Amino acid sequence: MAKAPVQNFDPTLPVNMIDLTCNQVDSIYQHMLTKDMPEIMWTVDIQKFVWEEVRDAHKNGKKLVAFGGPVPVTIIRAFDCVPFFLDTIPTRIASMEDLCGRFIDETEKYAPTSMCAIDKAQLGCALKGEFGVDIDAFVHATVPCDSARIAYPMMERLFGCPCFTFDCPFRHDAKGYAYLADQIEAFVPWMEELTGLKWDAARYAKFKEITEESNRSYDLLTKLGNLRKQTPCVLPGRMLVLNEIVAPIAGTPECTSMLASQLEMGNMLADMGMSGTRCPEERYRVCLMQNMLWSNTGIMDWMEKCYGAVTVMDGFGYQDGVIFDDIDNWERVKIQLAESMLLTPMIHGATGPTEYWLKVIDKMYEDYKVNVSIFMGHVGCKHTWASGKIVTDYIQQKFGIPTLYVDVDAIDPRYKSNDELRAQIGEYFESVVGAENFCK
Amino acid sequence: MSYEKLFETNISSESAKAWKASGKKAVGYVCCHVPTEILIAADIMPVRLRATNCVDSSDAEAWMSSFSCSFARSILQYLMNGTYELDGLVQSDGCMMATRILDNWEHIAKKNEKGQFIHQIGAPRITNDTAIGYYTNELKDLADKLGEFSGTKVTDEGLKAAVAKTNEVRGLIAELFELRKAAKVSGTEALRIMLANCDMNIDEYTAALKEFIADAKGREPIQARARLMIIGSALDNPEYIKVIEDKGGLVVADALCFGARAFGEKIVVDDKDVLGSIANYYLTRNTCPRSLDNRPALHKEITDTCKEYSIQGIIYEKMQNCECWGGEAYYLEPDLKAIGVPMLQVEREEQMANAGQLAIRAEAFVEMIEK
Repeated sequence: MAKAPVQNFDPTLPVNMIDLTCNQVDSIYQHMLTKDMPEIMWTVDIQKFVWEEVRDAHKNGKKLVAFGGPVPVTIIRAFDCVPFFLDTIPTRIASMEDLCGRFIDETEKYAPTSMCAIDKAQLGCALKGEFGVDIDAFVHATVPCDSARIAYPMMERLFGCPCFTFDCPFRHDAKGYAYLADQIEAFVPWMEELTGLKWDAARYAKFKEITEESNRSYDLLTKLGNLRKQTPCVLPGRMLVLNEIVAPIAGTPECTSMLASQLEMGNMLADMGMSGTRCPEERYRVCLMQNMLWSNTGIMDWMEKCYGAVTVMDGFGYQDGVIFDDIDNWERVKIQLAESMLLTPMIHGATGPTEYWLKVIDKMYEDYKVNVSIFMGHVGCKHTWASGKIVTDYIQQKFGIPTLYVDVDAIDPRYKSNDELRAQIGEYFESVVGAENFCK
Repeated sequence: MSYEKLFETNISSESAKAWKASGKKAVGYVCCHVPTEILIAADIMPVRLRATNCVDSSDAEAWMSSFSCSFARSILQYLMNGTYELDGLVQSDGCMMATRILDNWEHIAKKNEKGQFIHQIGAPRITNDTAIGYYTNELKDLADKLGEFSGTKVTDEGLKAAVAKTNEVRGLIAELFELRKAAKVSGTEALRIMLANCDMNIDEYTAALKEFIADAKGREPIQARARLMIIGSALDNPEYIKVIEDKGGLVVADALCFGARAFGEKIVVDDKDVLGSIANYYLTRNTCPRSLDNRPALHKEITDTCKEYSIQGIIYEKMQNCECWGGEAYYLEPDLKAIGVPMLQVEREEQMANAGQLAIRAEAFVEMIEK
């Protein structure tokens, strides 16, 4: 039986989540310094930035604005606030069974067990009061799902701070963008009141700067996406996990630097005919068509090593950002901000009608030359399970690929053991795909 | 006229068939933010879809998976197996499960070459002027499309006439609730009556309900051990309430979307903006926790009802995989404690598989709270 990972803290006792995470990231950072591999330090640099920014917000005289769902983060930054994406808590602790489990169990005293564990974990942390930082404001959207709609109102009352809600339209069309743009317009005076700062020419200049930086980030993301489209894909599947943190940090030079480093590394590998994956050779190109399996990202390494199967993209992490094309025009910016909010990872496919997810999948499978389709179905994401057949039937019809359905919990590692998951995926690879197992 | 039809719990397609036989359209709808007035104004019979007595939803499960709400899944089952043979489906995104009924049905209907009018309204989840404006536009779009579909344009006059009809029903239901308050109508009966509104043509329903109310006024109050209120997920099976009432509790009030929440106060129409009046009404009323800014108001309505109806206990039933009603206890329970009303929380599925367990718990609860 596999040994449980050794932890350097007692997960049954109250924690200060932010301090704990900063300490853990710092340990990894220090350890990697000893390895003398400066070319991959960027993978930890960015984590340090993200978590230390949250920890030190108040020390640096900034307000800490927690957020959930798609919100205009660049406006929050323009008002000199630090955005704290609450989803980063569950994705961070997904591999820590005891800690994650404690928060989830706390939520399950008050909310259904069927709720998405992304929300259960962060709500549990809020119920326990173990974030370790004081939240100055909470901004959230009415999406992505029904689970968030249980969690966010509860967290509003738990935080007891000013809150702003963006109501995301069901349809992502011109009327929907205009509706959201009107709310962005209302958000600005709300931020003025929160911070005591004015949305004046100087503030707009700062916003422009942040938006230009965000443009650079999304341009790099597009290039990274194009790199992943190439055969072979030189970037490993686990790099996709980093996509999740782009949302809160787009608009920062640190984000641009991280993406630039990733691209540089990827291009260098491609030029040298090398690969950052564990594939002995690339035989299969996998798409995880729903959520990233944060509770077991190692499964992607295992597929690479044992089957030469590289995860080229995941359905909800797929980035299709907006490049702002007329930043001096506030009316145009609002519409584009609205579009970018609705194109945020997960939001683009998991909200609205099934046809949106279908479009994302269609584009992904075509562009990334996917030939192995896995519905790594997070059980808390019930509404995507409820449209899975429409999408997988389409994949079978258009691409001739049968999809493996695996029920998992993207955040709660207790749901399914690594052994069971490997058995299910391995069986699919060997009996359906006809893959050779390099690990045998 | 006999009002026995009000008590036929099983889904009846009699009215819809008769309507369609006259050359008109009957369209199904799911969730409380589809204003039936618009369908009526387009001379379309609105049929509110429900899942009552669905015992096997395995065909629908292939589409929606077992990780889905059995209420939504069972409605899809009924669409698939022909229990509902309608001309289309209009839906508001009440919750994501309800949305998937429409997505899957649209896909299945296309696959089977069934011509269907399919339309989803985006209903906001917060209430302010911007949201009401957006929702009004959604309703305008619906009205235009329905008008084209039925051949009867939706006009202000048509809408006002429809509002007059639905307001008449709301008024009658308010009278029904007074009878419930006086313990002259049981919770089981009341839900049957309110469910009948889903299947019957509005004129037929109004006439039957008037007759029933006239008769029921003369009843003696029902003797019960405890006065109860039932809240929670979509409940379209009166047998569920009967199990509770057979154990001595009398369900005199509810906050169910097939019950009280489906009716509510009358619409007040501003002649200068008829559609806007309808939009404002449907968005501002507190139907369920699908909205993000109505929790305190929803809880207050529940506690106010407890006081008005002299409620001794609340039964909070939660459908498995229902997120909408999943988390209300955290704040509602202290509010209820403050007014001395205990709450029993029970989980359920659409199929009544756990009637025995419910009966035991209901009986224990009644014993605990009876005076």
